[in-house]
Amino acid sequence: MKTIVRKTIVALIIPIILILAWFYATTRGNIPDGILPSISKVWQAFLEMVESGQLQGDLLVSLSRVVKGYLCSIVFGVVLGALIGMSRTMKELLFPLITVIRQIPIIAWIPLIILWAGIGEESKVVIIVMAAFFPILVNTENGISQTPESYREVAKLYKLSQWKTFTKVYLPHAIPQILVGLKLGLGTSWMAVVAAELIAATSGIGYRMSDARSLMRADVVIVCMLVIGLIGIVMDKLLGSLFSLFTPWKK
Amino acid sequence: MSKEKDYIIKVEHLNKHFISGGNDIEVLRDINLQIKHGEFVTIVGHSGCGKSTLLKIMCGLVSYEDGVVERNGHAVDGPGPRCGMVFQEHRLLPWLKIKDNVGFGLKGLPKEQREALVKEHLELVGLKGFENSYPHQLSGGMSQRAAIARGLANNPTILLLDEPFGALDALTRIQMQKEITRIQREQGTTMVMVTHDIDEAIVLGDRIVVMSARPGQIKDIITVETRGQGHMRNSDEFTYYKKKIYGYLFEDAQEEQYEVEYMI
Repeated sequence: MKTIVRKTIVALIIPIILILAWFYATTRGNIPDGILPSISKVWQAFLEMVESGQLQGDLLVSLSRVVKGYLCSIVFGVVLGALIGMSRTMKELLFPLITVIRQIPIIAWIPLIILWAGIGEESKVVIIVMAAFFPILVNTENGISQTPESYREVAKLYKLSQWKTFTKVYLPHAIPQILVGLKLGLGTSWMAVVAAELIAATSGIGYRMSDARSLMRADVVIVCMLVIGLIGIVMDKLLGSLFSLFTPWKK
Repeated sequence: MSKEKDYIIKVEHLNKHFISGGNDIEVLRDINLQIKHGEFVTIVGHSGCGKSTLLKIMCGLVSYEDGVVERNGHAVDGPGPRCGMVFQEHRLLPWLKIKDNVGFGLKGLPKEQREALVKEHLELVGLKGFENSYPHQLSGGMSQRAAIARGLANNPTILLLDEPFGALDALTRIQMQKEITRIQREQGTTMVMVTHDIDEAIVLGDRIVVMSARPGQIKDIITVETRGQGHMRNSDEFTYYKKKIYGYLFEDAQEEQYEVEYMI
């Protein structure tokens, strides 16, 4: 218990210094609101956005895009990852290509995706799929192909069918690693949706920031940034707490 | 012809090579061995003498090209349900409960029958009440008991054991040796156990197959007359067999400039 208290205190030192610096700069300094608004202004903006329902609406739009894209990428990523992990030929065929494509940052895909899919819903979902797909695929492949020979030999000994060997040996072995991929994938898809909305969108939390920037509303921009960070942490923790349900054999 | 059927395993003129890193390694040379129903045969030899490979060939996990290997009168061409195997590491699947691990090889049975078999075999190895535990909750000895239960659940005619107690501490090992003797008596299952523990080979075996270092060859097959009489470990015969086996393995070591891995 003591260590938790100590950890919390230590972790809060720098944020508190930053907040104090922010407070000092905006009360004593001469910084225009369009550059750095005061804490109270940001709080005010937050309250206004919540009261008008704007913030909730923006978040709902962005989150529903994430859910659509993320679910698609789970299906693609796990299925393809498992195939590549099980079959050496598939790995030799696809892995070099995947490794090359992965090097292209997701932001760099956005122009081409907009050209192809427009700036509607589809393009956002495609961007999210692309962002979350690779971490899920790579981790699934890893978990499957790292299944120890000793376990595979047990399946061979009892003459399990290919499918049974997959569901009883490969897949359970890969689950912890797949969950790591799912966690990373959720993080990247949240980042990707914000990036996509910043560049081309007419709704969503990223659009709100871009819109606020053009109106010189730095307070709204900061509110959005803080909310994006908070949602990211909440999603990560939620997924993390779901993990233990999928791996009951772990302590 | 009737004599042929007495043998559950028949190995004749078996040779085995591995290709490793471009080198041809001779693992087994001219192995001849018959194993009768109900027998307990131990195979003892240096690490890397090919004894585990021999066991895996009998079981069908490793292929062979040169020689004859028959199980129940048929050439071995893969694993079969009537041949169980226990490995040095328990190899229980960490994500399955003990009952599911024990029932892992039971296919195409109604649920009740499957559960009854699992229960029966867990009781046999003294793990009653651990059905719903996960492998990580069990000690090394208990895990190996579960592995033996898994090996026996299919009701195999033969159980092959590949240094099953090698990773256990000395006291647990002695306990497990007693258990496996009891299980073999109760079930009447033919057992072949590979070990590098000479004491274990003598205590458990009706016959002891002594193998030389690479390439693995059978030096001698010793029939133990007094097995199962309860006072083996301090009997004169025990010392006699032990000396004899040491002689074989030690002579080997000198010839091939190997370090002796055993302590008396």
